Amino acid sequence: MLWVDKYRPKTLDQVLVHQDIAQNLKKLVTEEDCPHLLFYGPSGSGKKTLIMALLRQIFGSSAEKVKVENKTWKVDAGSRTIDLELTTLSSTNHVELSPSDAGFQDRYIVQEIIKEMAKNRPIDTKGRKGVLVNLVSGNAYLAYDAIFLVLNEVDKLSREAQHSLRRTMEKYSAYCRLILCCNSSSKVSEAIRSRCLNVRINAPTEEQIVKVLEFIGKKEGLQIPSGFTARIAEKSNRSLRRAILSFETCRVQQYPFTSNQAIPPMDWEEYIFEIASDIMKEQSPKRLYQVRQKLYELLVNCIPPEIILKRLLYELLKKLDAELKHEVCRWAAYYEHRMRLGQKAIFHIEAFVAKFMSIYKSFLIATFG
Amino acid sequence: MKSHEKGNANSASKSAQHPPEKPVQGSQDNSGRRKTSKYFSAEKPKDEKEKVEVPAKRKTQTDNEETIKPSPARKIHKFDDDEDDFVLPNTKKNSVAAMPRKKLKSGSGRGTGQKSMDIDESDDEDEVKHVETPSKSGGRGHGGGRGTSATPAGGRGRGGGRGGFMNFGERKDPPHKGQKEVPEGASDCLAGLTFVISGTLDSLEREEAEDLIKRHGGRVTGSVSKKTNYLLCDEDIGGRKSEKAKELGTLFLSEDGLFDLIRVSSHAKPKQGSKKSVDDADVSQSKKIMQKTEIKNCTGSSASKNVANKSLASGANLDRKKIQTAQHSALTWTEKYRPKVPNDIIGNQSLVKQLHVWLERWHEQFLDTGNKKKGKTANDSGAKKAVLLSGTPGIGKTTSAKLVSQMLGFQTIEVNASDSRGKADAKIEKGIRGSNANSIKELVSNEALSANLDWTKHPKTVLIMDEVDGMSAGDRGGIADLISSIKISKIPIICICNDRYSQKLKSLVNYCLLLSFRKPTKQQMAKRLMQVATAEGLQVNEIALEELAERVNGDMRMALNQLQYMSLSMSVIKYDDLRQRLLTSAKDEDISPFTAVDKYGFYLSLCIQISVLARLLLVLCVNMEEKVKKYVKSRRIGIFDHIVCVPLFGFNVGKLRMDERIDLSMSDPDLVPLLIQENYVNYRPSSVGKDDNGIKRMSLIARAAESIGDGDIFNVQIRKYRQWQLSQNSALSSCIIPSALLHGQRETLEQGERNFNRFGGWLGKNSTLGKNMRLLEDLHVHFLASRESNSGRGTLRIEYLTLLLKRLTEPLRVLPKDEAVREVVDFMNTYSINQDDFDTMVELSKFKGCPDPLGGIPSAVKAALTRAYKEGSKSRMVRAADFVSLPGIKKAPKRRIAAIIEPSDGGLGENNDEVAAESEEENPSDAEDLEDSTVGEKLQKELQSLNKKGVQVHLDLKDSGKLSAKKPPIGRGKGGSGATDKKNTARGSGTSAKRKR
Repeated sequence: MLWVDKYRPKTLDQVLVHQDIAQNLKKLVTEEDCPHLLFYGPSGSGKKTLIMALLRQIFGSSAEKVKVENKTWKVDAGSRTIDLELTTLSSTNHVELSPSDAGFQDRYIVQEIIKEMAKNRPIDTKGRKGVLVNLVSGNAYLAYDAIFLVLNEVDKLSREAQHSLRRTMEKYSAYCRLILCCNSSSKVSEAIRSRCLNVRINAPTEEQIVKVLEFIGKKEGLQIPSGFTARIAEKSNRSLRRAILSFETCRVQQYPFTSNQAIPPMDWEEYIFEIASDIMKEQSPKRLYQVRQKLYELLVNCIPPEIILKRLLYELLKKLDAELKHEVCRWAAYYEHRMRLGQKAIFHIEAFVAKFMSIYKSFLIATFG
Repeated sequence: MKSHEKGNANSASKSAQHPPEKPVQGSQDNSGRRKTSKYFSAEKPKDEKEKVEVPAKRKTQTDNEETIKPSPARKIHKFDDDEDDFVLPNTKKNSVAAMPRKKLKSGSGRGTGQKSMDIDESDDEDEVKHVETPSKSGGRGHGGGRGTSATPAGGRGRGGGRGGFMNFGERKDPPHKGQKEVPEGASDCLAGLTFVISGTLDSLEREEAEDLIKRHGGRVTGSVSKKTNYLLCDEDIGGRKSEKAKELGTLFLSEDGLFDLIRVSSHAKPKQGSKKSVDDADVSQSKKIMQKTEIKNCTGSSASKNVANKSLASGANLDRKKIQTAQHSALTWTEKYRPKVPNDIIGNQSLVKQLHVWLERWHEQFLDTGNKKKGKTANDSGAKKAVLLSGTPGIGKTTSAKLVSQMLGFQTIEVNASDSRGKADAKIEKGIRGSNANSIKELVSNEALSANLDWTKHPKTVLIMDEVDGMSAGDRGGIADLISSIKISKIPIICICNDRYSQKLKSLVNYCLLLSFRKPTKQQMAKRLMQVATAEGLQVNEIALEELAERVNGDMRMALNQLQYMSLSMSVIKYDDLRQRLLTSAKDEDISPFTAVDKYGFYLSLCIQISVLARLLLVLCVNMEEKVKKYVKSRRIGIFDHIVCVPLFGFNVGKLRMDERIDLSMSDPDLVPLLIQENYVNYRPSSVGKDDNGIKRMSLIARAAESIGDGDIFNVQIRKYRQWQLSQNSALSSCIIPSALLHGQRETLEQGERNFNRFGGWLGKNSTLGKNMRLLEDLHVHFLASRESNSGRGTLRIEYLTLLLKRLTEPLRVLPKDEAVREVVDFMNTYSINQDDFDTMVELSKFKGCPDPLGGIPSAVKAALTRAYKEGSKSRMVRAADFVSLPGIKKAPKRRIAAIIEPSDGGLGENNDEVAAESEEENPSDAEDLEDSTVGEKLQKELQSLNKKGVQVHLDLKDSGKLSAKKPPIGRGKGGSGATDKKNTARGSGTSAKRKR
């Protein structure tokens, strides 16, 4: 099993980072009402882990008896019926899903499926109620009677879907609690944010990451040269998951560690790095065409276009003269926005690249003649 | 109006149709020839009229002779309408004798029919030009002039229509494209001369030059021969053509030389003597002398009176024409001039002869040899009992078949697509004459009988099966039946089809003598068309007819139809009219998106402001949804045109009109943008000119790319929110603006790439992405089902994948084989990754130009891994939901059966579940497929009902992970177990699930 999963804290008490938040959450659910929750923060900061631990806190181990279900829903959308395939992860008391997977049809998921789930009170809970009350504190009764819906990547929901969600949150709040999880709260509509208790999960600091890595190292009985974990933490961009994964990657690649061991980047990051240097080297239609091919490679390999654009900008900025940075960032943001409005991501990424080439080329010529 | 302005009938320039006396009309006039110009609504009525106009005459002003050509009765009605408009101008005109040129212009507009349109401004320009060469005015000589200024543009638009695609990009742009004034001259000034064009000309595109020559009566051929008079080239590039020309002593002619030739003729014309003689000749040719004289008498009267008088006076003279018109209505020309004897058939004479011989000998070959031998002869490869004529439409297949049969005294029975030709019902065949198919059978099999009885009385019969390739859906078994008919047939059968290689006819061709008709050459067609035209009293020159023949692509029928159609509105048909007409009709034919893209690259040359302008215009359009919609529907000139053309006119010097561009992009609103997007980087914008370092080009590309992005956003609005009124905007921003920015020459970016437009790459990539997404989703589901992780799909790809792959491949490289395999399989089990997932991961980590993630692993190890995994699968518990294919059902079920994961404390009590798990895990495809379908159905029903109740099949996973290593679960070992087994286990799982709840 991967270390990320192996050492993932199962309960709120076990968490190493964000202990304060964990304690607050614990208090929250053991008191009478549990509001809708919105967890937000950068990836790899522990949102999901906290949510799962929270559920476990409420329902006990039954929250871990999850089943995966991937089924097709037939949604009646006026004139036609739409088939939606959706993967859900559910236990008796909670359902976890990523409505944004449905792309631009996410609205139907929210309108129909989530509503459907929210409407139905969990049945057949009586037999176990007693057990549970014993397990958890008696106060948890109310929460127990509701079903918890965990929605991932809420920030990727379209605006319509978010609007539909709003109504569901109010109307069925008696039987249903929503736990929303997203990276950026700014992309979640204000109406939704105001209906939730917002929980900000910060990215762990590098010291915290180092601490966790050392902890894992100890558990695994590894010899870690000093400074090694710090380097990993530094490279991880303050994502704990990332740090642990690359820690293990290093372990797979070479053990025992040496203090100057290279920390391998992700495959796609390497590729984007290549693209960035291609762009810097030559700005011509021909190069643009080659870059397009490479971008296609990335897209086809399921790298989300937003991430490509972000990473590309990051790589470009590293090599760019200071005076251009501002402008380039602005264009990147511009095209990222348009990418969200549009559908064919490659068009917009390519437009960004073309724009960059145009700017950079005229800059070069203005500077060096 | 037209009628009274009788023309000197200069050869055929209809441009001179209008009497010179109407200067005032100028404003209204459309110097119709210009392609680019737009029409104002006020002018619309004219359009309609024009169509109805009958043979127009032209008049020479200088001569002062006005001849009126009588028009068919039909036309006269029209005049009434016209009168209102024109009376005034006419009268004035008479007084002002000096302004002929205007009239000319207007005339040209008219002749062209609805296509010709122009704006006032254009008129003004024209006027100026005309003033420069006023002498030619008399309407004649004008032929060349029609739309002189527009010529380049028009030519371009048209030239592209055909052929532009391939040679585009090979030839350079003319260095002074569009910069020279193209002269106008007598329409016949180049008559009898043959030209060959070589290399790049100074200011004309090759197509334009061809047009110019043809318009003036010259002939353009592809290669130099003795007959060639001139080789047209500006720079001697020393190609084959010029060598040959030197050898033969052909004169070299530069573009300027050509212009001079034309100009000279136009100067010469004004001289009355020569002109008159020509006129006379022409007139006599058209048998209009009588009319002419009559009309002369009328000259003095005012125009409006003229009309009336003329129509009356000429009435008598019209007789002949009227008769003809009457005939027109009775018979279409295609019927009327259908060949009467085989020799009339154009082209393919040898095939006709062959058919003749075959038919002639049919009876002796198949019947007269006696019944006994018949079977044998039929099997002879040389002698087929049926014949299959194939070829493109309109080249005379049916006609030949009929004529030949007729000539040999056969009675023809024609069965075509309008008859039902399904397979004859076996029962009915026995006697009841039901469907047509049965009567064919009847016919075929009974001939012998009838032959025996009254051979002398009944002529021989031949069956013509027309359009056999159209035998399809409705005619089930038609072909097969036809074949069997052929086998037993006692009469000859002639089958006719368009596409001999059609899949449907594959079996048929074996039984038939194949005769493939070829398209007649354009000369052959032109000759025949000329005969028809003469017979109909139509004045057409040969060049024009050849053009027609070429445009219709060998389809005689279509050519005749076109000709007849045009004869309704004019009696003198010129090259330009034909081209105009055919172009408009050709436009409605399919434009493939490729052609469309090419046209963009080639023709669009708007100033850069267009993109700004276009955006502005779009705002306007949105407010005019209704009208725009109407426009799109009718594809006519609508309000949209006006809005666009006025502001555009300044920049858009005679290039493709906006609406034409939109039509192009609308030819497939989904595909064209993709093609544009794929190819726009390849174009070297000609608007940039000298571009140091390519900065300008790069910035144009950036703008184009942004515009393409706009198009994408529009597209989302259209598809997602059904804002269809935005489709114009979408077309503009995704196609027209990028192409306007980057129009120019295409160049290749990669070595060895062909210089053609690539097909849009997006489609392919998108479908690959879709596939990979699905695979990734499968992996993700397995991953989740393993219950070890609950990361999202994106995270899985972005962050986990690298490590996962390392964990899966690194040991194979490093460790000894057995140990490595064991470790990897263990790992796969932990996360319930199966082999497909493994492949998925490898696939997703492959990047072009990067090392293969599987590189360095010896294939022996890979094989061992596969073996080990398969081995393990026997003892492995299901840890993942999968598309379980149900027995007896080929398609994957709609719902995926889910796996459930129990926490490890579930313990041993769950063996049932394990069994169930097993049953689903076992490679579902092979053994199960064979199973009895009923069992499968039952099982499926059961599963579905379970699903409906919200009960999922439970599969214990957590335990299984541990168990699989140590103790094999009870239910396993069932590898290929039987149907009942499976059924039970599945059921077991269901019940256990229930129990748990």
